[in-house]
Amino acid sequence: MIELQNVSKIYPNGVRALNDVSLSIPAGDFVFLVGPSGAGKSTFLRILFREEIPTEGKVMVDGKDIVGMPDGRVPYLRRNLGIVLQDFQLLKRRTVAENVAFGLRVIGAPENVINARVQETLETVGLSHKRRMFPDELSGGEQQRVCVARAVVNNPLILITDEPTGNLDPMISLEIMQLFLDINARGTTVIMATHNHHLVNKLRKRVIALVEGRLIKDEPGGTYAYE
Amino acid sequence: MGFDSLVFFCSEALTNLRRAGVMTFVTVSTIAVALLLMGTFLLATMNMEFFLDRLQEEAMVTAFLVPGTASDRVSALKLQVTGFEEVSDVTVVTPEAAARELFTDPADQNLLQIGLGEGNNPLPYTIRMKVRSAADLPGLLAKLKAMPQVESVGYGEEAFRQFQGLSQLLWIGSVLVIILLGLSSLFIVYNTVRLTLFMRREEVVIMKLVGATNWFIRWPFIIEGFIHGLLGAALALVLLLFGAPFIMARLAALVPFFTFDLAAAHLFKLSIKLCLMGIVLGISGSLLSLRDLNAFGREM
Repeated sequence: MIELQNVSKIYPNGVRALNDVSLSIPAGDFVFLVGPSGAGKSTFLRILFREEIPTEGKVMVDGKDIVGMPDGRVPYLRRNLGIVLQDFQLLKRRTVAENVAFGLRVIGAPENVINARVQETLETVGLSHKRRMFPDELSGGEQQRVCVARAVVNNPLILITDEPTGNLDPMISLEIMQLFLDINARGTTVIMATHNHHLVNKLRKRVIALVEGRLIKDEPGGTYAYE
Repeated sequence: MGFDSLVFFCSEALTNLRRAGVMTFVTVSTIAVALLLMGTFLLATMNMEFFLDRLQEEAMVTAFLVPGTASDRVSALKLQVTGFEEVSDVTVVTPEAAARELFTDPADQNLLQIGLGEGNNPLPYTIRMKVRSAADLPGLLAKLKAMPQVESVGYGEEAFRQFQGLSQLLWIGSVLVIILLGLSSLFIVYNTVRLTLFMRREEVVIMKLVGATNWFIRWPFIIEGFIHGLLGAALALVLLLFGAPFIMARLAALVPFFTFDLAAAHLFKLSIKLCLMGIVLGISGSLLSLRDLNAFGREM
């Protein structure tokens, strides 16, 4: 599903965010990406959805080489990916349902399909009763659930999440985590960058640790420790 | 683009226009002012062209025949010229009639008795004709000059050339004004759309995140540009059509021999031209602002 071969990323200011990283993530896997701030976790994820291009190495996603992919093909790559970031990234002037529908509109889905899928996905994240509300009228946890709904509304192959519980309290974090586990149980590969060691230690999923851009641990059923 | 997508783009564009009220007002006003000035120049040029056409049509073409051409030959020539499709009215002027016209002052009439009597009148036979349309003039002149009995042809070319020169000057001026105003309003439209795009930056980033193509992002902006241009043109046209009769009346008072035409067909043409210019301005301003969409989201 995802394969990185000797991937390095050096930013124009000279910062080496990733250093010769090679790994493979099969379909349906659940992976925690851990490491201190500045370890290269976000760069790793951004490379997966082609927001960054590695300086060296090869990246295959769903059998496609995304490093040499023309810019015009990137939107089609992203349609197979669900992306959830820490800072919610919701459209403030649109309702919950409109925010979720956005993921389907961009791929030109017909209106009846959009309505059905939005309703179904909002029920999955437990927000169908708040479909007409605006993001500012929701709690942080609810806003993040809307983001998750938008990310999974078109059944992505891979869900990429960068600190999705970073702004949430422990109880709400668990709720969001349960959503990711449910989505993973349906066959979606989930890659989650996190600092939440309680979650990582409790769930015992595959753990990949990055420190100063280097892959220092890749452990199935691992814990948060990377020192 | 499917029908659902088109409806979505249009509703997005209309919502955005409403939300960015001040920006919309600035863009539409800028386009309106530019088009008003362009329209004024276009109107002036169109009037000048119309005036020149009429001048040409009303001009009498005079063919001076070779001195000594016999009167029966003149009659034959008149018949031949009458047969030309470019000609609408033909008159033969005898040397005597030409002399009488020449010396219209009663004091000069005596000269007719003294020097220009029967047999020693130096003036030739002339054939005067009117052209059916200004476009026929060059063809008619060529035909007349090719006739051996025609010594020379006159049609008031000096005055005509002067007006033509003036018309060309006005036309060049109009083109320059249109280019300059077009570029400056394009610059303003570009900046306004750029600002709107910046205001909607977050939205664009999210669109790209969920897999929107650049064209999906561009379409609402293009429709907005189209509406900006159309509204600007409509505003300019209202001002121009209400203001033009007043301006034309003032100009007519200043230049009495000049006739100003505001026929419906001309105004319709002008309206179409201004609408097209507005739409081109609005859309190209939007497209220019959106050309580097791939850079968006890098700083997400």
